[in-house]
Amino acid sequence: MAELVTLTIDGAQVQAEKGALLIDVCKARGIEIPAFCYYEGLALQAACRMCLVEVEKMPKLQPGCTLPVAEGMVVKTDTPVIHEARKSMLEFLLANHPLDCPVCDKGGECELQDMTFRYGLGESRFLENKHHVDEQQWSPVVFFDRPRCILCYRCVRICDEGVGVDALGVVQRGVVSAIAPSHGDHLECDECGMCIDICPVGALTSGMYRYKTRPWEMNHVGTICTHCSNGCKTTLGVRGGQVIRANNRDHSGINGEFLCVKGRFGWDFVNSTERAQSPMLRTNGRLEPVSWSRALMTVARKLNEVKQRGGRVGFIASNHTSNEENYYLQKLARQGLRSNNIDHHRTGDVVTLIDALAGRTDALATVADLYAAKASLVIASDLAQQQPLLHFQLRANWRHHRSRTYVVTPGPVRERKFAVKSLHAEPGRELDAVESLRDDLSKEPELVILFGDAIQGDAVRRLVAFGDSLGIPVKYVCLLDYSNSRGAIDMGLAPGLLPGYRPVAEAGLEPGMTIAEMLADASLDVLWVVGANPLRNARLAAENAFVVVNEMFLAETAQRADVIFPAASAYEKEGTVTNVCGEVQSLKKALKVMGAKTDLEIFGLVAAEMGIDLGPFQPGAVFEEIRREVRGYNVSLPVIATGGAAQSVPLNGRVPALTRAELIQSARDTLFTSGTLGRYSKNLTSVLEHPGKLYASGIETP
Amino acid sequence: MPKINEIIGSAAAIAKGMSVTFREMLNPSITDLYPDAPPLFEERYRGVHVLQRDENGMEKCVACFLCSAACPSECIYIEAAENTDPKRISGGERYASVYNIDYNRCIFCGYCVEACPTDAITHGHGFEIASYNTATLIYRKEQLLAPLPPGAQVPLVVNEEPVGAGH
Ligand code: SF4
Ligand code: SF4
Ligand code: SF4
Ligand code: SF4
Ligand code: SF4
Ligand code: FES
Repeated sequence: MAELVTLTIDGAQVQAEKGALLIDVCKARGIEIPAFCYYEGLALQAACRMCLVEVEKMPKLQPGCTLPVAEGMVVKTDTPVIHEARKSMLEFLLANHPLDCPVCDKGGECELQDMTFRYGLGESRFLENKHHVDEQQWSPVVFFDRPRCILCYRCVRICDEGVGVDALGVVQRGVVSAIAPSHGDHLECDECGMCIDICPVGALTSGMYRYKTRPWEMNHVGTICTHCSNGCKTTLGVRGGQVIRANNRDHSGINGEFLCVKGRFGWDFVNSTERAQSPMLRTNGRLEPVSWSRALMTVARKLNEVKQRGGRVGFIASNHTSNEENYYLQKLARQGLRSNNIDHHRTGDVVTLIDALAGRTDALATVADLYAAKASLVIASDLAQQQPLLHFQLRANWRHHRSRTYVVTPGPVRERKFAVKSLHAEPGRELDAVESLRDDLSKEPELVILFGDAIQGDAVRRLVAFGDSLGIPVKYVCLLDYSNSRGAIDMGLAPGLLPGYRPVAEAGLEPGMTIAEMLADASLDVLWVVGANPLRNARLAAENAFVVVNEMFLAETAQRADVIFPAASAYEKEGTVTNVCGEVQSLKKALKVMGAKTDLEIFGLVAAEMGIDLGPFQPGAVFEEIRREVRGYNVSLPVIATGGAAQSVPLNGRVPALTRAELIQSARDTLFTSGTLGRYSKNLTSVLEHPGKLYASGIETP
Repeated sequence: MPKINEIIGSAAAIAKGMSVTFREMLNPSITDLYPDAPPLFEERYRGVHVLQRDENGMEKCVACFLCSAACPSECIYIEAAENTDPKRISGGERYASVYNIDYNRCIFCGYCVEACPTDAITHGHGFEIASYNTATLIYRKEQLLAPLPPGAQVPLVVNEEPVGAGH
């Protein structure tokens, strides 16, 4: 327990931790001290002087944002002198402020507006003409309007301290000082938009949201980002059936204020003109739009026919569909068609990790653990590129708690900037390098180990054995690629595993074929591909196979399809997804795109058409079944229903060894790509750093 | 006797009443001859809205959505778009690409006019909007806009001179 001091704030006796900042102590007591430059978690700046308070025995007003509380201090926050000071500060800030609120994209959620309304003077004594500077575009996503800037340096600090990119700085001094981008007239950075969000005024605005609407005109739907596996909460602003912007408006969820470029700007695939909006059926060699009933009937008939003659059906499932959809799909395959040929693109070896940790329930780290752990070890992954939130957490942990990070990677990664030790390890030799860290690691009080796809199979077991031998509490994160990669394996989308990592023998089935085997099987009768693109760089051996595809876009696999069902994206459905740390969170339906149906609906309707009873196909009902049936998924409903994250812990028994060699390989997406989905986001492909432009030309990320 | 009094009383009352009638017959009429002649309005009559233009003919509305936020019957629908140099519609950076008022719902309260920071939306004196088809009561921007001043063209190409007086 830290030392407590007693002070007086506005006549009331208050106890607070010694050294705490006055502004925080007041906030905790419900006393507002207005502030612009102070931002929790960032370095202190004391630039705006909005937070002035009176302290007895101090000659001048003091900034509350940098003043540590001390024993016997007597503070006043609500006196005429302070009111006067606030009015003057605001008048000063507004001296050259354009006050073009009606056309300013921040209008309606602007801190300067709020403060002026609450503490301001109402009129100005400055009658001089205002100095106008034209707006600048720094990147496709970031615009800067200099006269609106109040020089609070929040953007500079979040970019440097928070994101670790340091792409913004201050040029000049005094009244002419201004925020400027890293590369002359433009930004070369992560394009995450954190600076836009943190800017209290409309100085930094988003190129995607630019002049589209106003904050009160949108519906704000808090859902889970559909790109990488980190599971950030993103609030979609929706108006008239269109997504207009995304940010984490209320800073809720496991990511707080964080979002990377994909979560903040990579939503525009939803309203892409290339979306499939009608079912298609191949007639005379060409894909023709048909009605839903015709498409459903065709697929149901084909499946029944193949089932009756004992033919071979394969399912390639998705890394993006919800847990409910995954669960229902494997039910359709296993119960409906007695087929275990079901697989998805595996991007990390969770299965072996879960088996190696059998019997423990506290060995899987959460996203919050990465911010709290005293030490962490990153093996064979470029977190900043592939796991942006996890990187942000580790960085914040180092910034705030001086946590110790160890890095073992084949190439340079951004974590090396703050790591206490970084080792270079050739692919395949990572564990040797880890072994050489034994002395350092065993001195740490606790450890979180994050490992990429280079560690799989036996290497995972050796890693866990290494962790056990350290004699300290160790938690693990098996890194995965996509938004529901974890949910896909948890729900048994694997040829040898039922939901909850149970052996298929329990259901009286033989293990089925993997993706590679399905594609190579010349006698396959039906292949159903759900939200995946396996034919992007592979061939389907079965020339005559009937191919069904659930897709949003007519990418490579869809081109080979006999029937295409237009599918709804994660932003258009209810359900749950599980992030890389096994945290279950709920999706919220933000909009409806004409013509598309959710995958759950498609599976349900096909099953009904086939005459198979698989139970109701509503997300809520299926989730109830998952909570009952799937090991580890008996998570707290209230937590999930209120937008929280509940970790699923499937660690209570051995997992059967998978008998077939499985291909586990990360797709190596960068910060600016997102598999096939990312190709259809113009926002993502428009930034300079998108692979093929800046990124591919060899520019190191800082 | 009482009967006579009653008769005299009634006659006096009629005479008094008719005197008002005859006097008014000689005064000029104040009844509007609408629809035979145009109706007269007080200056501040709140009729069908007019979206104003500035002296160059540019639309005054900058699509700030304040009118639609103020409207108690939620009958103003706006879509905003950005002005570009080749295509300049309004004086600000943004203009209303769609601006509809639904006269099925408008109660002519004038709150929208009150809210507008650029004096773009105003009440005109139009009132003949009755219709057998409610769909025609949704007025579009094109119906609401004031006529172009003589000599102006749309879209306007403006001479971009440095603006000294801020935005
Ligand atoms: S930054 Fe705020 S105060 Fe300034 S013009 Fe924009 S909305 Fe108005
Ligand atoms: S651009 Fe915004 S966040 Fe950055 S200093 Fe100016 S006002 Fe602050
Ligand atoms: S870190 Fe991952 S989940 Fe979070 S916003 Fe970026 S892509 Fe989405
Ligand atoms: S007059 Fe009143 S009801 Fe009619 S549009 Fe304006 S604010 Fe709405
Ligand atoms: S009419 Fe006025 S209040 Fe309404 S959007 Fe246009 S400028 Fe704003
Ligand atoms: S908040 Fe204290 S000086 Fe800005």
